[in-house]
Amino acid sequence: MIATQLAKYAAFSRIAASQARRERNELYGRMAFFAVILGVFSSLWRAVEEAGMPVAADPKSLVWYLAATEWILLSAPPIHIEIQEAIRRGDVVYRLGHPVSYVVAELAAGLGLLAVRAPFLGLTAFFCAFAFTGWIPPLTALFIVVPFGFAASAVITALYLGIGLLAFWLQDVAPVYWVWQKLMFVLGGLMLPLELYPAFVRRAAVFTPFPSLLAAPASFVLGTNLVTPGALAGRLAFWSGVTACAVSWIFRRAASTVTINGG
Amino acid sequence: MVAENLSFARALVTTNLKAAVALRGAFVIQVVFMALNNFTFFVFWWALMGHVTTLRGWRIGDIQLLFGMVAAAFGLTVTVAGGVRRLGRFIEDGALDTLLTQPKPVLVHALGMHAQPSGAGDFISGLIFIVWSGQISWRATPFVVAVIVACTLILIACGVVFFSLAFWLGRVESVATQLWELLVTFSLYPEPLFGGTLRLVLFTVLPAGFVGYLPVRILHAPSLANVAILLLVAMAYLCLAVLVFDYGLRRYASGSRFTTFG
Repeated sequence: MIATQLAKYAAFSRIAASQARRERNELYGRMAFFAVILGVFSSLWRAVEEAGMPVAADPKSLVWYLAATEWILLSAPPIHIEIQEAIRRGDVVYRLGHPVSYVVAELAAGLGLLAVRAPFLGLTAFFCAFAFTGWIPPLTALFIVVPFGFAASAVITALYLGIGLLAFWLQDVAPVYWVWQKLMFVLGGLMLPLELYPAFVRRAAVFTPFPSLLAAPASFVLGTNLVTPGALAGRLAFWSGVTACAVSWIFRRAASTVTINGG
Repeated sequence: MVAENLSFARALVTTNLKAAVALRGAFVIQVVFMALNNFTFFVFWWALMGHVTTLRGWRIGDIQLLFGMVAAAFGLTVTVAGGVRRLGRFIEDGALDTLLTQPKPVLVHALGMHAQPSGAGDFISGLIFIVWSGQISWRATPFVVAVIVACTLILIACGVVFFSLAFWLGRVESVATQLWELLVTFSLYPEPLFGGTLRLVLFTVLPAGFVGYLPVRILHAPSLANVAILLLVAMAYLCLAVLVFDYGLRRYASGSRFTTFG
């Protein structure tokens, strides 16, 4: 029974992955953008080094830190856009009657996309960070970053799903996404390690999932190891559970209030 | 001819803005959240420059001025020419058919069709950043206006060129979007970070130099000659954009669309 269920959702993942492999323009664009951002920040950190580094890390490891955080963030497919459009057009109504859970099917498709994007963007991160710094962090650190980064991207994908579902009430979820994205940017330590932010930002970040999704996995390349691998696994499991409950609750509320007109 | 086009563009922008403001709640949310978005982005610079006083001669005020200029110009671009980001899709889907049958210029019409309310948030936050930078006196206000207009024209022109690649290459929307975002991204970082060949690129193919760096230099030492040069550069990019679009339009294949329009 469970195997049948899993097979159905695995099919959604496979279809999404094969579509992503065929339509690679967006992925190439992201890879180029990623390379440019790493180039800009390698210049920025060199300039900061000239002025005196404000953090106990060298510019090279900070470029690798950014490579890791950006890899996690860019790998997660922005599925909220498609979900928003499906809700706005009313297409979602046809999906609700299918013998599969709409939410799990969308998540499975998102994970299929992630499976294609993550390796490409990971290689871009690795080669660009190496090209800009001429240095590679200890392999043990990279071996920890990769699985945790992939798990974090999966949780971010689930969060995008939740944001997309808000379109049942908001129609346009872009403003929610912008704020969420910038919270990720600051509280997650996307570009700057969290220790560079004021104390109140660091204190606020502890109560959110963002540091566990970005700063903590990436901290292994800095050597600052914000948490141990075991503790990070526990935090990711906790935030996955919270996200699953939140998404499930949002969808139940939405489905119970949806009004279908016409045929 | 030019006056007629300008009058048509003004009418389009006014109509679009009225339509956007009609949904007052959505409009306000988009404006406020976009402004919040920009301020949150800038937390990065406040945090970094709180530890480092200058970055190759640039202080936090200079970065605020740069960020404000680019945000204001970007906001104006997506407000008055919001269609620029959809141009690729119009071409790809054959959606220019409806515009080709109209008695007005196709490019002006396509650009002015989708005003984005969030642009107002960018514009307002940009102005706040410019004032906040403490680098602009009231007497320099006309220069600020001229420079923002020039930057807006360059952003529109680059958007037209990037998205017009769809005439030759087909589905390029995501690539063109990334090119346009790269232009904006480069514009947001201080000029001394970039050197060598990249600098040449930033003053030609991806003219971030004309969108961000030169305007900041002009506003540090305002002069009519420098503003005139920037406006000439903007006009040159605009002419190039019109030429590329017109040339591409000859290759345009109809989508055989039958839709109501008005």
